[in-house]
Amino acid sequence: MDGLDAVGVGPPTLGRSLPEYVALYWRLVGARARSQLQYKVSFALLVIGSALNLLVDLGEILVFFRFIRSLAGWSLPEVALLYGFSSSSFAIAEALAMGFDQFHRNVVHGTFDRTLVRPLGAFFQTFASDLGVRRVGRVGQGLLVLGIAAAWLGVDWTPDRAAMLVVTLASGTTIFFSFFVIGAASSFWTVQANEVVNIFTHGGSFITAYPADVLTSWLRRFVTFVVPLAFINYYPTLYILGRSDPLGLPDWVRLLSPVAAIAMVLAARTVWSLGVRRYQSTGS
Amino acid sequence: MRLYVEVAKRAFQRQLAYRTANLAGLVTNAVFGYLRALIILALFEARGDVAGYDVTGALSYTWATQATIMCIALWGWYDVEETIRSGDVVSDLARPFSYLGYWLARDLGRAAYFFVMRCLPLVAVAVSTFGIPLPSFPLGWLAWIGTLLLATVASFGFRMLVNLTAFWTADARGLGNIAMALVTFLSGFIVPLPFLPPLVRDVCLALPFAAMVQTPSDVFVGKLAGASLLAAAGLQLAWCVALLAACQLVVAAATRRVFVQGG
Repeated sequence: MDGLDAVGVGPPTLGRSLPEYVALYWRLVGARARSQLQYKVSFALLVIGSALNLLVDLGEILVFFRFIRSLAGWSLPEVALLYGFSSSSFAIAEALAMGFDQFHRNVVHGTFDRTLVRPLGAFFQTFASDLGVRRVGRVGQGLLVLGIAAAWLGVDWTPDRAAMLVVTLASGTTIFFSFFVIGAASSFWTVQANEVVNIFTHGGSFITAYPADVLTSWLRRFVTFVVPLAFINYYPTLYILGRSDPLGLPDWVRLLSPVAAIAMVLAARTVWSLGVRRYQSTGS
Repeated sequence: MRLYVEVAKRAFQRQLAYRTANLAGLVTNAVFGYLRALIILALFEARGDVAGYDVTGALSYTWATQATIMCIALWGWYDVEETIRSGDVVSDLARPFSYLGYWLARDLGRAAYFFVMRCLPLVAVAVSTFGIPLPSFPLGWLAWIGTLLLATVASFGFRMLVNLTAFWTADARGLGNIAMALVTFLSGFIVPLPFLPPLVRDVCLALPFAAMVQTPSDVFVGKLAGASLLAAAGLQLAWCVALLAACQLVVAAATRRVFVQGG
């Protein structure tokens, strides 16, 4: 796959096919996952901790609905549906992007050199260096809320809605994943400002748990047209609930999540390759 | 005492080295505060009063929790756990001064930095974006800073206990993540504790975690004054003493059986 190789600027790679990459991914990540699973108590604690972290966000929503019947025009199960989409795609993205999580260390210590001399794209190697198996708690919790909310609302799973469900989870995961990659790639310029990316990853996960109707109008345009957080769950959920955009955007906008996801991938890919090209290793 | 003041000063100065990182942190905290405030506004669209908070009160409560986030440092503080894992703790324990006092001084120096460079700028952001009313000068400020100091000490005691479990288990971080996720909620950081069902609320208010966030934030809002302020600060003080005493006992128990890693 030329596409994957082109992302990391490394030595020329032997032409590998997608199935070969998949096999390689599982082999590399499998070793890592097995080592994590060796420490059973640690692993269990991390699973519980990660599930609890997201429950805190859900707790906030539940507490608010003790006092109100609708938040910006959305009922509790409707907000829960939004939350289910955003928390499960965030959790899957976070698990997949685990290799990018502590990536800045490779840049600070110069160990990224090693990645560059291996006969595989730098992006693929970083991607395959870790998988957050312990995030399974978060993923499960998010999907559970999604299921309960859909059942509560009595969503009629017609083929188009079912397809929307899958496409939304895939697009949302891709959008969050791209933010994690951009965050890691920012280390090529400075490792001091990494925290700003949290605005889009953790901040994105926080704000997408609520309907975009709570946002001020400029912020709402920002998360629709600039940083496509609203496509993680808001527009697809409007479609699933059979609603139009309250601000009057045409109905087909609700179907654009995959387009937003592709745009984010392209952006992340550009930032990553620019960063890799800029990398100069450390002194000493 | 001078020694501890010096330790605190060094901890303050250490933070000055991370200027860009701290600026990035300030921006991040401010954006989160803004988003949290928008959700509070949406909540109050439907009604004027929630559990005794009006919209201004709830907004300033939320901004107070957000502004003091780095002073109280509820999450991700594993400085002591790292020294236990690396074995460096031995030289810390062998030093001719109080181990606990050393770390407390260090933490207060760190908190002082974040009060000046993080908390006050965030309060300024809150005032300029949402018109949050400030505590009265000087008494309101004095009460706020005083209860914030006690909150930091209580939080330090709790974080220290979590870190000290590393003497016995390799899972201090796993336990810590669970504890800190719970504390985020139980302290009143996510929503003011009076928003919770009465029974849960009463239990939470009696726990030490309320002393870490709920109390100083309510003082900032102006909900605690006079006798109720004294009672809340007294409870904070009691929790500080209890938590630090617990830390001291744990340190004593740990040093009796300390098994140094790293050789």
